Amino acid sequence: MKRWNSISVAMLMGVSLIALSACEEPQVDASVFESLKQCYDDPAMSDDECKISYKEAQDQHTAVAPKYASQADCQADFGMGKCEQAPYRTSSGGSVFMPLMMGYMMGSMIGGRRSMMSQPLYRSAGSRNSFRTADNRNVGSKTGRTQVARSAASRPSFKSSTIRRGGFGASGGRFGSAAT
Amino acid sequence: MQRIPVTQRPDLAQAASEHGFGYKTGDGMIGWDETAYYQFTLRQVEDDLEGPAEQLEGLCFDVVARAVDDEAVLRRLGIPEPFWGYIADSWRNGEKNLYGRMDLSYDGEGPAKLLEYNADTPTALYETAVFQWEWLERAMELGLIPDGCDQFNDVHESIVQSFPLLGIEGLSHFACNQNIEDDKGTLDYLEECAREAGLETQPLAMEDIGIDDQGRFTDLDDNVIATLIKLYPWEWIMDEEFGRNVPASGVRFVEPPWKAILSNKGLLPLMWEMFEGHPNLLPAYFDGDPAADALGGTYVRKPLLSRQGANIEIVRDGKTEFKNDGPYGAEACILQGFHPLPDHGGHYPLIGCWLVASKAVGMCIREDRTLVTGTDARVVPHVILD
Repeated sequence: MKRWNSISVAMLMGVSLIALSACEEPQVDASVFESLKQCYDDPAMSDDECKISYKEAQDQHTAVAPKYASQADCQADFGMGKCEQAPYRTSSGGSVFMPLMMGYMMGSMIGGRRSMMSQPLYRSAGSRNSFRTADNRNVGSKTGRTQVARSAASRPSFKSSTIRRGGFGASGGRFGSAAT
Repeated sequence: MQRIPVTQRPDLAQAASEHGFGYKTGDGMIGWDETAYYQFTLRQVEDDLEGPAEQLEGLCFDVVARAVDDEAVLRRLGIPEPFWGYIADSWRNGEKNLYGRMDLSYDGEGPAKLLEYNADTPTALYETAVFQWEWLERAMELGLIPDGCDQFNDVHESIVQSFPLLGIEGLSHFACNQNIEDDKGTLDYLEECAREAGLETQPLAMEDIGIDDQGRFTDLDDNVIATLIKLYPWEWIMDEEFGRNVPASGVRFVEPPWKAILSNKGLLPLMWEMFEGHPNLLPAYFDGDPAADALGGTYVRKPLLSRQGANIEIVRDGKTEFKNDGPYGAEACILQGFHPLPDHGGHYPLIGCWLVASKAVGMCIREDRTLVTGTDARVVPHVILD
């Protein structure tokens, strides 16, 4: 009556699962452009589509881009002249730096709807040719219609700059396991 | 319900290491014992455990619904006042729960009695969902147990199916104490279930959680944490330094904040007060309540927040008969009617009934050599055979 039959035990073992996802991660269709103009020039795209997706990506840029407390730290990761100041300050008045948006990615049209939200793309100093998402996932170097790993197409998380760590964990140190 | 001795699998040591469990030669797998199993009838499982556990879950929800509107109740449970509104909102907004384990005393006949509800940080999950099932299949294959045995165990499938229903978007962080191997093992398994369900996940130590200048929590890559699936009790979170930032952090927690009401042993007297005489409940009172005289000097004293049997005291006719050490008890205690676990030749089985998304979907049996199930307890597998 209570059969658990949909999976094999081998699937549950961490190692095999991770190996599987690394080798065989599903690909999804996407379009990548380095500028609004490049999108306009693509005959497969309408101007409206280009404009809307570009704005969607640009609107997210400030929230999702990696954040740095200094221009130098940001440039170390993204290159000279490739960083800008975020349009806000920390509560103590310090500046915040983030990489320039170097492109954007949009999903393919499925049934008249985009398969994913558009998102901004970046280029790291270490690999100038490929685009990376705000979550540091590789999107490859191809522009126009392409395929990317499903994890790269997921919605990027908000980035902040951490001011302090270690405010959790003290009770665990005192009482031990959280198990009940 | 019978306890049946059985030969352990000759390849147990290998199975244990494949699953990442510690193993002590001569002593077997840590936390696991397959030199015996418990056999139940289908009727016992369905009528005496599965059904009642779901009914008890309904009563628990009635207690939460009352507690969030009653400051006196929240005070009794020792929940810090700055969290009252936060907990109440999480309930009123219908924040979904994933799992929990009800500990029941049951001897095969008569109603099972609820001893406590591990509603926030239940463990022995992997042992129940995976290792116990693997034992069943292998033991039948080797002819150690009769053909046709079944198990009350839909736990894995239910968890995988429940994750998408939690309405989580984007990355989920899975956090526990970094130095506790057992907790990490349980959480890793839960994370695998989430990935199987298609969620994006990231492990994180509670100690590594950061905060930004707007009071949002961050991971080690400075991602703002949106969803935190934690194996870390609410009472610890509320008590710690970053706790005060939790209500305004915007983080979605699993288990949700209202589980703090259920994982507290004060739940038991509250249930008794509201549903006195329910066949699956034992009489229970807050320590110091004159009504506790009804217990007549024989009861079990439990600190509101104790874990793994720590600081539990059995009192018979006014005299302490058994007491576990531990770090708890500075908080208030409850007194619960004494309903001893059944004695199977010096083994005392405690039934843990798993609820996933509030449905009873499986069980594990933990056995100790004492009436109070503590850290030495081991999971013993079970079968259903009519």
